[in-house]
Amino acid sequence: MKKLIAMLLVLMMSFSLVACGGSESSSDEGSSEGGDEGGKVYNVCYLVNGNLGDKSFFDSCKAGLDTLEEDGRITCRTIEMGGTDEDKPTWLSTLYEVTEAGEYDLIICGTYQMPDYLKEVAEQNPDQKYLIFDDNTYVGECDNVVNMTYKQNDLGYLMGVFAASMTTDTTVENINEDAVIGFVGGVDSPVINDFLYGYITGAQSVNPDIKVDTRYTNDYVDTAIAKEYGGSMINDNKCDIIWGVAGNAGNGAAEAALENGGCWFLGVDSDQELTFSEDLAAITLTSGLKNIGNSMIWFFDEWDAGNEYWGTEVNLGIAEGGVGLVTDKNYDKIASDEIKAAVQAAQDGILNGEIEVPSALSDNDGAMALRDSVHP
Amino acid sequence: MSNLLSSMMTPAFFFSIIRITSPILFATLGAVIVEKAGISNIGLEGIMMISALFGSLGAYYTSSWIVGLLVALAVGVLVAVIMSLFAFQLKTDIILVGIAINMIGSGGTLFLVKVITNLTEGKPLSSTTSLITKTLQIPTVNIPIIRSIPVLGKIISGHSLLTYVAFLMVFVVWVILYKTSLGLNLRSVGENPNAASSVGVSVTKVRYIAMGLSGLMAGFGGAFMSMSYAMGWSQDMVAGRGFIALAAQAMSAEPLGSMFATILFGFAQAFGIKLSSIGFDSNLASPIPYIITIVGLVIFAITKRSKEAKRLAAVGAAAEKEKEA
Repeated sequence: MKKLIAMLLVLMMSFSLVACGGSESSSDEGSSEGGDEGGKVYNVCYLVNGNLGDKSFFDSCKAGLDTLEEDGRITCRTIEMGGTDEDKPTWLSTLYEVTEAGEYDLIICGTYQMPDYLKEVAEQNPDQKYLIFDDNTYVGECDNVVNMTYKQNDLGYLMGVFAASMTTDTTVENINEDAVIGFVGGVDSPVINDFLYGYITGAQSVNPDIKVDTRYTNDYVDTAIAKEYGGSMINDNKCDIIWGVAGNAGNGAAEAALENGGCWFLGVDSDQELTFSEDLAAITLTSGLKNIGNSMIWFFDEWDAGNEYWGTEVNLGIAEGGVGLVTDKNYDKIASDEIKAAVQAAQDGILNGEIEVPSALSDNDGAMALRDSVHP
Repeated sequence: MSNLLSSMMTPAFFFSIIRITSPILFATLGAVIVEKAGISNIGLEGIMMISALFGSLGAYYTSSWIVGLLVALAVGVLVAVIMSLFAFQLKTDIILVGIAINMIGSGGTLFLVKVITNLTEGKPLSSTTSLITKTLQIPTVNIPIIRSIPVLGKIISGHSLLTYVAFLMVFVVWVILYKTSLGLNLRSVGENPNAASSVGVSVTKVRYIAMGLSGLMAGFGGAFMSMSYAMGWSQDMVAGRGFIALAAQAMSAEPLGSMFATILFGFAQAFGIKLSSIGFDSNLASPIPYIITIVGLVIFAITKRSKEAKRLAAVGAAAEKEKEA
């Protein structure tokens, strides 16, 4: 057994030692300064580490870039690098290729899978500008990279306002009169609690006496246990709306809602009504979105205005259109006009600064105390 | 506290114990069979994950849960036979083969689902949930007369078809082990392979069959996970149930006894969930099943040791008497 562990360790070490090499290459004429009065047309390259058609981040980003292109603000070349394990080696080489082409003002990529590749290339090509969305692994380590992330507490607030308004609207199918809503989180960590903090504060702004039943699955993979938690929330505490923020495990809460009946599910990150099969989509009211596309438009607006963020992390909330709710499909059909107005008011409130949503990233203790005080 | 008790005294609580128990019970029976044949199959977890994936994909591509289930079972047996090939033919340590299968169960399934469905573009966690509708799931069964019994009906009726199969399998496995010649061969190979082969039992063949049967059980368990418990496969969804099964097997090597060990675990997990419903910190509630498992193993080891000591003392005393005589 000891031998085996030793072997595994050696294997891991040798893996981590690889990729320390790399060729020295730099493109001298990275970005040519245009800067005319008519606004510069940026030449952008969008690297998809997968394929378009994911109905999620990649498509969202592409939609934003398409809008910019139609408005004549950028020219965009999109390269789908593929997402299989066989495609992975090409991610790095493609990054090098488009960098060495030297013709792009900005190279865009995203997701948690890219930062290591990007860091390697960006360090060697300090004149090329890069943007990576939904990742902040190496913030500030490269002066030519901007990291774009999304404010989950703002998102949580909107979801909370919506869920709290819905949970007492008994004219809607599956809704009971108790003001109890649910939250299934992955692990009890500041990032997940950031969603939760916003969710509870949002819910309390609608109904100060609301109860929020919070459970953690303690991983992101055990769908079955999330289903058991969901069932317990519905049967024991009469939750009629559950927000799942636990990766794949969160889907278990949707399955519990489907099986037990009398409960709706709220999705997260991307529009889960599109990614679920029809049965689960039918009981999904809305999803909390990260609007990658909107954040692209925001970024070029800022760039045109002379605000540059290279080497920093930009954390986008409602004000920048970085996060929002899915408002077509079930939301449009099921939510009453009053509720839609309440959500809109909350959104406006955050926009004009009247509402400030607390963040668990800076105040996790506060989030936990609040969570325990509103448990049914 | 009264809150907790009242929520525990509900049919839903006992229903969930049975549901939590089912997939682990399958795997436990798989572990019991191979252990009787003197083999440690620690790859049950991995087999379950692989079966879970293929069951769900099989159901999707053929639009039939029956085919999906059969695919899951076939894949379970196939993987177990491949394990046997490495262990018995190529003489690899069975523990190492088990570790390899567990790794393949986690990483290999992710790879396969990418190749086969291309579903996982840019997503940190992949699943086949988007493909699976209710009709592709293994159906639940409402037992005609029992369902109308007030409390019991709600606990026993309405489970997945496979849940009933799981408890039926406890009996089936007992019959195989103790009422058939295969079972006799299997146990004799486990007790003493040399003795078994000296009377003409093909040890390798019996071991293959034992592994195949345990693969079949793990296949059932995997199918339950992806086609009944959850809608569709997702990465690492078995989440340690295959290992819990090994612990349950260690508590009692017999089909019936290990069933009770599994139910104990199911109870512990359902209890943890109930605790969290009254606001008990989930971080403290989720390890309860594992703590109970460890406590159970300790109690089991202690009783086994004292029994062993008594037996040795009795043997010693008998030998003394014989000497005197």
